[in-house]
Amino acid sequence: MKRKLMAILMSLTFIVGMAAGCSTPDTKVEDANQSNESEGSSDNTLRYSLESEPPTLDPQLANSIPSATVLYHMFDGLLRNEEGEVKPAAAESYEVSEDGMTYTFQLRETYWSDGEKVKAEDFVYGIQRLLDPAAASDYSFIGLIIKNASQVNTGELPVEELGISAPDESTVVIELENPADYFPSMLSNSSFMPCRKDYVEKYGKDFAADPENNVYNGPFTVTKWAHGDRITLEKNDQYWDADNVKIDKVEVLTVADANTAVAMFDKGELDFADVPTPLSANYQGQTISYYDGANDYLKLNQAEGPFTSKNLRLAVNYAVNRSEYVKLAHDDIYEANTRFVLPQVNGVEGEYGDEYPYEAFPAEGDADKAKEYLAGALKDLGVSKPEDITVELLTADSEKNRKEAEVLQAQIQEALGIVVEIKQVPYKQRLQMENEKDFQMVFTGWVPDYPDPISYLELWTTDSPYNHAGYSSEVYDGYIETANTTTDSKERMDALFNAEKTFCEDAVVVPLQLRQKEMLVNDKLKGLETYFVGINYDYLHAYFVD
Amino acid sequence: MVKYVLKRAGMSIVTIFLLITVVFFLVRLMPGDPFNNGKMTPEIQANMEAYYGFDKPLPVQYVKYLGNILQGDLGYSMKYTNRTVIDTIKGSFPYSFDLGIRALVFAISFGLVLGTLAALNRGKKLDFVCIMIAIIGTSVPDFIMGSVLQYFFGIKWGLLPVAQYLGFQYTILPSIAVGFYTLASISRLMRAGMLEVVQQDYIKTAKAKGLSKWRITWKHQIRNAIMPVVTMLGPVVAAVLTGTFVIEALFAIPGMGKYYVESVQMQDYTMVLGMTIFYGSFLIIANLLVDIAYGLIDPRIRLAGK
Repeated sequence: MKRKLMAILMSLTFIVGMAAGCSTPDTKVEDANQSNESEGSSDNTLRYSLESEPPTLDPQLANSIPSATVLYHMFDGLLRNEEGEVKPAAAESYEVSEDGMTYTFQLRETYWSDGEKVKAEDFVYGIQRLLDPAAASDYSFIGLIIKNASQVNTGELPVEELGISAPDESTVVIELENPADYFPSMLSNSSFMPCRKDYVEKYGKDFAADPENNVYNGPFTVTKWAHGDRITLEKNDQYWDADNVKIDKVEVLTVADANTAVAMFDKGELDFADVPTPLSANYQGQTISYYDGANDYLKLNQAEGPFTSKNLRLAVNYAVNRSEYVKLAHDDIYEANTRFVLPQVNGVEGEYGDEYPYEAFPAEGDADKAKEYLAGALKDLGVSKPEDITVELLTADSEKNRKEAEVLQAQIQEALGIVVEIKQVPYKQRLQMENEKDFQMVFTGWVPDYPDPISYLELWTTDSPYNHAGYSSEVYDGYIETANTTTDSKERMDALFNAEKTFCEDAVVVPLQLRQKEMLVNDKLKGLETYFVGINYDYLHAYFVD
Repeated sequence: MVKYVLKRAGMSIVTIFLLITVVFFLVRLMPGDPFNNGKMTPEIQANMEAYYGFDKPLPVQYVKYLGNILQGDLGYSMKYTNRTVIDTIKGSFPYSFDLGIRALVFAISFGLVLGTLAALNRGKKLDFVCIMIAIIGTSVPDFIMGSVLQYFFGIKWGLLPVAQYLGFQYTILPSIAVGFYTLASISRLMRAGMLEVVQQDYIKTAKAKGLSKWRITWKHQIRNAIMPVVTMLGPVVAAVLTGTFVIEALFAIPGMGKYYVESVQMQDYTMVLGMTIFYGSFLIIANLLVDIAYGLIDPRIRLAGK
């Protein structure tokens, strides 16, 4: 018996020893990099994580905020939008023509990480590539503001006809389809970064697949990309403003589970981490809150179905108690939206919300008004009792979506007495059903690409490809038209505000929430900024203190 | 024996081919489309479809795809636009494989020992402990086991790392989480097998012959009791090596599991097909190997299978 036990124990020890001896894949690589403790202040390395790896680091193909955030730190566009303040970047100055349609940029002398000078042609090539049908970028829509962009994108016109040119090595000229005050801020987006033609031609489809398949002109360069695991950035000494970059190295890890990321933050392995809603109670008072720009609402189909009745649309808008909804569905982390446009976008001088305050619907709803409109709706739809009206609430299939839908269903049913049915489908299917107008009331949202009200409002003109609600208003179209043709900033913003008011008065959607996130930040890390458009974090000027 | 192996190998190839065909057409039936990101215009979408050749009739695309596979080209991912499916597999599978192997080593070694100890000490306290472990392992899902282990050993007591895969200590918690269910199954099967075998005639004969207890246990009991374990080993090995998705997500291990799940949600056709081919082939080959091993271990199977 004893011998047997001994034999078993010995074999087990042998096995465990073998297992311990065998190294995990990639362990031998740079143990200095992958130390357990972040100790950011001692090795001057910033570490953070993303829930999913950036699918690509190709500026013109990037289509997600995680990609865009990393790219913002790797490349330098003509201008840089630092949390609302548009500053010169690769271009040290620019001029706008009288009619607001032509922008001329003067480049400063800067270099790529391989020593080559950054030329105007690099910007022309990059932006042409964005619209070039041969590059098949699913983010090309962001360039449609440029003259001839949509014809170039469909192949009607050759790429050379795009409204961008380089009269000389350090001048870039861009022509627009219509005046756009917000255009300078867009140039900070990864889609408009310069691109080296020789690298694209050399690597073809593998361009930017790995760090050595591209060159960089931004504050950091990519030195290593362990796919699925982490991206390593190192300070670029060639960057024209390198003196103001205080961090030496950045590691962007992929950590799919939000709870794990928080645990890693607690152990000092990450310098900042988003806190998922269920855990937020544990970290009360320790987090900072920021908007991520997303604006969610119930889109109402007014082309067919019960919501052709404006009265019903208004009834639902007054029936929903937005304050209670964000508390029940999101633990108050999100903010109730009582208008349509995100108030933090740019106004004429300051924030749009400050310059044009507006409450379309009371945050707590208004049960009496709701019933008034309901009476009108009953007449419109030719029924006698509220129970005769059934509406379908379409949403995606996550747990969060389910909770949101149930809260809304309860509120609407209780306030109005109509029947609300919830239908959950996979996200992609929901998108398709929206496209095909196969919905009555769908929970959807919009993430802006630039910090201007029109990013939200241009979706609803009669001929907008994104107008899946069947909304058509001459008055609304008129305001948008004015905003797109006038060169006076104040007149433009007034028109946009009028459009927003018309939109809310017509109850095209039921505005619900402005998404916010809670974030834990290492006490020793200063200068980290968050933003709600294009990128989530800006660590350009971040630094560690002791 | 050779005929047996060839026959099984031939059937495996046919199975893989069928798998590819079914998935190719099935994945296109999913509602929604791969390019729509909520900001797509019809023109851009048409351009994308032309670029990927989706505007051609489906059978034409199918033939082209088959042609590519036979040349070893699984295409580029539609989501990770600059990366080929094969590169993705090459970069991520070693992690899943490593984790799976460690989990199997853990499950098999401890499972066999536990099962044997339980059978040899039947009715006593040790048996009870082993059974309890087996019950916990069978009923607790891997992600709960993983979360609990991560919380206590990683966060609360700080004994082991919370996440990542950078050295031996990082592999301990994930391996246990992945392997625990298999450990439980193996120990129960082993225990049952041992208990059944001990009643067989040839054990009585061996005892009558005067063989030592040790020899009886090792040479006769274990070798026979282990048959059911070997049977399940094929599918188990394949399942463990490919079923690490949840634990990988929990412990931030850059394995292959997430591409499998995510590619379906994102309708990344090339990746879905690539993953299916890879996993499918893996399973089929694992089963083939088990059949062959079975034939080797048990002469009865070999002779009967003719």
